[in-house]
Amino acid sequence: MPAANSTDEPILTVKDLNISFVSKYRDDRQVIRNVGFDIRPGEFVGLLGESGSGKSTLGNAILNLLTPTARVTSGELLYKGKDLFTIPAEDLRILRWSEISTVFQSSMASLNPVMTVRAQMEDVFSAHRGTSDAKREMTVEKSLDLVSIDHKYLDFYPHQLSGGMKQRIALAMSLLLSPDLIVFDEPTTGLDVVVQKSILSRLKALQADMKFAVLFISHDLGTVMEMADRVMIMYAGEVVENSPAGDALSGVAHPYTIGLLGSYADPRDAEINIRYIPGRPPSLDSVPVGCAFADRCGLATPECREPRIPTAEIDSLAGHRSIKCVLFGSENSDPLPERTIFDDVGQQIDVHHAAPGAGEVVCRVEDLNKTYSTRKGLKHTENHAVVDVGFELRKGSVTALVGQSGSGKTTIGRILTGVEKPSSGRVTVAGVDVGSLKRRALRNYRSKVQLIFQDPFQALNPASSVGYAISRPLVNHRKLRGSEVQEQVDRILGQVGLTPPSEYRDRLPHELSGGQRQRVVIARALAAQPEIIVADEPISMLDVSIRAEILQVLNELTRSNGIAMLYITHDLLSARLIADEILVLHEGKIVETGSTNEVLTNTRHDYTKLLLSSIPNPWQSRRIAPSLPTASSTSARA
Amino acid sequence: MTDVETLVPRETPPDRPAKTVKRRNGWQVVWSNGKARTGIVILALFVAVAVCAPVIAPFDPKNSTLPAGLQPGGAYLLGTTNLGQDIFSQLVYGAQVSLIVGLLAGVVVTMIALVIGLVAGLLQGVVDEILSFSINLALVVPALPLMVTIAAYSPVHGLSLIIFVIALTGWAWGARMKRAQVLLLRSQDFVTAARFSGDGLWRIVFRELVPNMVSLVVAGFMGAAIGAIGAEAGLSFLGLGDPTTVSWGSMSYWANSNGAMLTGQWAWLLAPGLALSLLITALTLINFGIDALSNPQLREE
Repeated sequence: MPAANSTDEPILTVKDLNISFVSKYRDDRQVIRNVGFDIRPGEFVGLLGESGSGKSTLGNAILNLLTPTARVTSGELLYKGKDLFTIPAEDLRILRWSEISTVFQSSMASLNPVMTVRAQMEDVFSAHRGTSDAKREMTVEKSLDLVSIDHKYLDFYPHQLSGGMKQRIALAMSLLLSPDLIVFDEPTTGLDVVVQKSILSRLKALQADMKFAVLFISHDLGTVMEMADRVMIMYAGEVVENSPAGDALSGVAHPYTIGLLGSYADPRDAEINIRYIPGRPPSLDSVPVGCAFADRCGLATPECREPRIPTAEIDSLAGHRSIKCVLFGSENSDPLPERTIFDDVGQQIDVHHAAPGAGEVVCRVEDLNKTYSTRKGLKHTENHAVVDVGFELRKGSVTALVGQSGSGKTTIGRILTGVEKPSSGRVTVAGVDVGSLKRRALRNYRSKVQLIFQDPFQALNPASSVGYAISRPLVNHRKLRGSEVQEQVDRILGQVGLTPPSEYRDRLPHELSGGQRQRVVIARALAAQPEIIVADEPISMLDVSIRAEILQVLNELTRSNGIAMLYITHDLLSARLIADEILVLHEGKIVETGSTNEVLTNTRHDYTKLLLSSIPNPWQSRRIAPSLPTASSTSARA
Repeated sequence: MTDVETLVPRETPPDRPAKTVKRRNGWQVVWSNGKARTGIVILALFVAVAVCAPVIAPFDPKNSTLPAGLQPGGAYLLGTTNLGQDIFSQLVYGAQVSLIVGLLAGVVVTMIALVIGLVAGLLQGVVDEILSFSINLALVVPALPLMVTIAAYSPVHGLSLIIFVIALTGWAWGARMKRAQVLLLRSQDFVTAARFSGDGLWRIVFRELVPNMVSLVVAGFMGAAIGAIGAEAGLSFLGLGDPTTVSWGSMSYWANSNGAMLTGQWAWLLAPGLALSLLITALTLINFGIDALSNPQLREE
């Protein structure tokens, strides 16, 4: 399966790279620690890590695009034998794009808004290959063909194109001069799942065809494992594992790799077993001695705290593996240790479900319609965002509203919470039509309905403390005063797992991690003691390893407090985990509905099938049975 | 379903809170910027001079019984005016006027801009239309001729008139910036969240919006103060200020109209101009530090 012949000379070699961020005001932070690896011609290498692991810094270092505060303290970066850190700037300029090109995360920002697509692409071409008009035009058009975009879009400006289209054009641009190595930095993050799937499969096909090497940086292990020949896993600035992708999936791998893989499963399975790694990566200010992962690892031994952690070099059938973990010893080229470690890593997510139809109905949505009309000159267009939608929310049960972006799922959430008025139809909560509420009545209604936001970085006021945020619903909706407020704040912080409360009460949001912030957002919603919670993609902005944890908190709290939750998502796996009932929304209409098991195991509508196929499932695409050695896990996947 | 007791999360996340949370307040951020530090030191010197003027100045600035038209040097550090006043003493007392005008006019302009910006940003529809129109109107009317006209035809002359004129012509730019900031902030999730928490309009304005506009307000104040100090000097130089107050502007006015350059009294003309430039430079330098307050990327060099 590896596209590269292992006898090829590597085109990129990184040796003992160390990078620090220096600052006048604090200690230097070492973000890349002793990283070394090779990329061979035509190889597809995935670079994985959670936010803050240093993966983007490493990607920028390869392009020699480090920000001024980053310093390469030691190490070499050899591209075809030339050290990119020391070659003259002009040589580097020539190398960039014609031999090493890149696709950035946000093509919105990397395309120039005042130039047409054609002008930008021709610009790149002229800078490197001269200005022969005929050849230039042909090359530009050919590269657009590669990503299946019609030539007419060449004369469009970036703002006239959709996000997916812009990302395709960025891909076409990176291919323009047929480079030998392309660095992708989270190229599809922020795009719709279905769009993401189509771009990535296109990329994979092109790569197989044109034989360029790829370094694919991502936080999404599932996607990378599906695509890559080889994966490198980064943790706290180190590459802890560098293995052929198939080997990494085999169940014998670095405990961190296994922990990350625990977040993936096929939502169609009868029973699913999702694991998560408790805790979060160490702050780069104080990386512990020895193995940085030891604090979160269920298998840690005293050996893991020794200053030197050996790297095991192992030859497998698919290629060479390096694993930096004491469990694998330091023996070079020995056969794999006969050790199965899957079950001891991480913690299994434990969710509860309500029987479908159980619990009293607290919210009834009938014949809901929402039409937006826009007028542009004389042209009047109507956009039917929501069409004839009806469902019920029940006490203590979770209803998932699933669909891709633009399906109208967020609009339904906004109508339910009274932020928007429906065009027709009604939402009834406790006998009251939500659409008819005004001012004070609406404010009272919101003590019953709370919202959990998608982006925990925007949902908390940067200028107010955690305690203040949680105290407001207590004061306004529950009319608590004085010490009662303080007691309740502490109790709720404890409920969402932010303990001890005194540690968190006075913190400002920027002093918390993404997962902690989302816990605060959940705590604030709970503080009002609502009957209904609308959660709009509450985990999509979080790192993979903490998603399961947040889902578990949500699940437990809604059920123990008898709250009805509308869980809005594009991700059927998380819906499978948390929801009792699923509504699949497509272009404003509900196309499929039923109990979670029913919808996922006996899928009828093509659109649901499309969503299901967009979920990365590394094992399935590689036709590897996940080797789950113990009886309990095997049965869970049967 | 199991019983409620087991549903409470068993495991607290071993998320270790960062060990030392270094929280730098706004003042520390501004002070850590080298340029701003220079500016603050210069400004502090000016304030000290203004406050201690009676101690520092060797003579009463309005005392015109000294020998007239002396060159710099000797007992009269910068010489004397044609009327026999000590120029150095005038310079020292002039700092008071510039600083007071800068402070008061800065505050008035900032308050007007903040109120109009908040109201226009919060209330959409007709109110916003009217206020935005006024902002645009105030921006296109040329400020200098308007100031000169009002100051020239006003029945009273004095500091309050100058501050009034500066406020009238200077609020619009700040109001537009603050309106834009309110429009941006009000659509943020945390404002929606405050609404869901049951907070009323006033609390949302003062607890959610205004704290996130602090750096903009401070920068607006600095800009307004710089403009006000310059405008006061300009109006006084044109002879439109209060003829009885001693300010750097009126010093330049008298020096100019008495042909100080021709009589060789260079210090009479130069000193107030230099003092003015130095004060405005100091305030501009401080503004660099305030930029770092609103844009954390500028903090670490």
